[in-house]
Amino acid sequence: MIKTIGILIIAAIIVWIEVPPLLEKKYKKELLVFSILLAIGVGLSITLFGFERSIPNPFDLLTFIFKPLNDLISLLLT
Amino acid sequence: MMQDVKINSYQFLVLVILFTIGTSILTVPSALATDAKQDAWIATIIGTGIGLLVVWLFITIAQWFPNLTYVQVIEKLFGRWIGKAFSAFFVIISLLYASELLYYFGLFLNIHMMPNTPMVVLNILMAGIVVMGVRLGLETFARTAEILIVVFFVFFFILVVCISPEMKFENIQPVYEMGTKKIVQSSIFYVIVSSVDAIVLLMIFPSFVNKMKQGKKAFFIGNLIGGIVIIIITFLCVTVLGFEKTTGEIYPSYELTKKINIGNFIQRIEGLMASLWVITLFFKTTLYFYASVLGMAQILNLKDYRPLTLPLGMIAVVLSLVIYPNIIYQQHFDKTTGNSLTLSIGLFLPLLLIVVYAIRKRTKRNEIEIKE
Repeated sequence: MIKTIGILIIAAIIVWIEVPPLLEKKYKKELLVFSILLAIGVGLSITLFGFERSIPNPFDLLTFIFKPLNDLISLLLT
Repeated sequence: MMQDVKINSYQFLVLVILFTIGTSILTVPSALATDAKQDAWIATIIGTGIGLLVVWLFITIAQWFPNLTYVQVIEKLFGRWIGKAFSAFFVIISLLYASELLYYFGLFLNIHMMPNTPMVVLNILMAGIVVMGVRLGLETFARTAEILIVVFFVFFFILVVCISPEMKFENIQPVYEMGTKKIVQSSIFYVIVSSVDAIVLLMIFPSFVNKMKQGKKAFFIGNLIGGIVIIIITFLCVTVLGFEKTTGEIYPSYELTKKINIGNFIQRIEGLMASLWVITLFFKTTLYFYASVLGMAQILNLKDYRPLTLPLGMIAVVLSLVIYPNIIYQQHFDKTTGNSLTLSIGLFLPLLLIVVYAIRKRTKRNEIEIKE
């Protein structure tokens, strides 16, 4: 619980640093991208630290996709 | 966008040197000694040679569009949507590599210096300064590199001088026992780590360096100097530790520094080695992170990349804890998928770019002829 609150405080500080200048300059697209990325970041951190669940590893997916190329390279190198 | 930022060719040279040395200084000796045994140092020499060829390929691409970054070049040549897909792949891989380097940093400090500190704290510390560097901009961290390169070479010189009495030339004999084929094969790994990875430097090379001609030279010379540093380190590892011990260690060059003993007075200066590594690793991570942040801003046509740094830093910290469940996974991954990933963004994609560029140039010329 305390970790979740900590993450939310960090997110609040990031919003506090970033958002006012963006609003001032009226950068709408930047604000949208920023919010999406921050939501992803907070979501991932809370799942990992707050709920202590594991997150699927992106490298497992990449290993699955690149398996043919891996086999080819290891064939060439041995 | 922030196109007015320019660095000079000396600063670029320094960045290339630090990037090339990067993680190689600690990990390459052990990876090479696994295959090439006592001839690992010959493999690094060949690897540096092949690496220069790869850099030449990057420079040819950089010359076509002197004002565009790599992401913009991809988008220009492949058209809007396919280009955006390829650049998105490039950006995601850069971000993953940035978090991979955060993991390396955390793991190294966790094993050797601060065993009781949780790894996430170390990763957050590193990510903090990386994000700070990227937010302050390319010029700032290029100037930081200019200062730290002096520190780096002073420490490196001290290290080499202090360890040289321990060299035993019996350790590299018989020279050239493994044969050309084996040596070239193992040098490929080194080429991938230090030269093919340099594709992210195309995010700053043509567009943010003020003089094209000196910049080209700086790219070559930087890669060469970085290569020489790695050659020296590998040579020292093999001659001092012997190839069996070099293979067995995760960080052989760190073990190397522990051996330093001059008159029972100067001992245990491995902190120097650690600081060398932290300097180079910081710049490698920063360049990767800069490439991913700037690339993402350019794909989405944003006016400023700075708002993306903090959230992406947060994501990178989380990824750095997730991507490698343990060190066995990491070593296996680095030998298989890591190589294919780097090759696909750093070698196959540029080759594809060259083919597409040639075709488009030819069709364009035909169009002009038809019009005339």
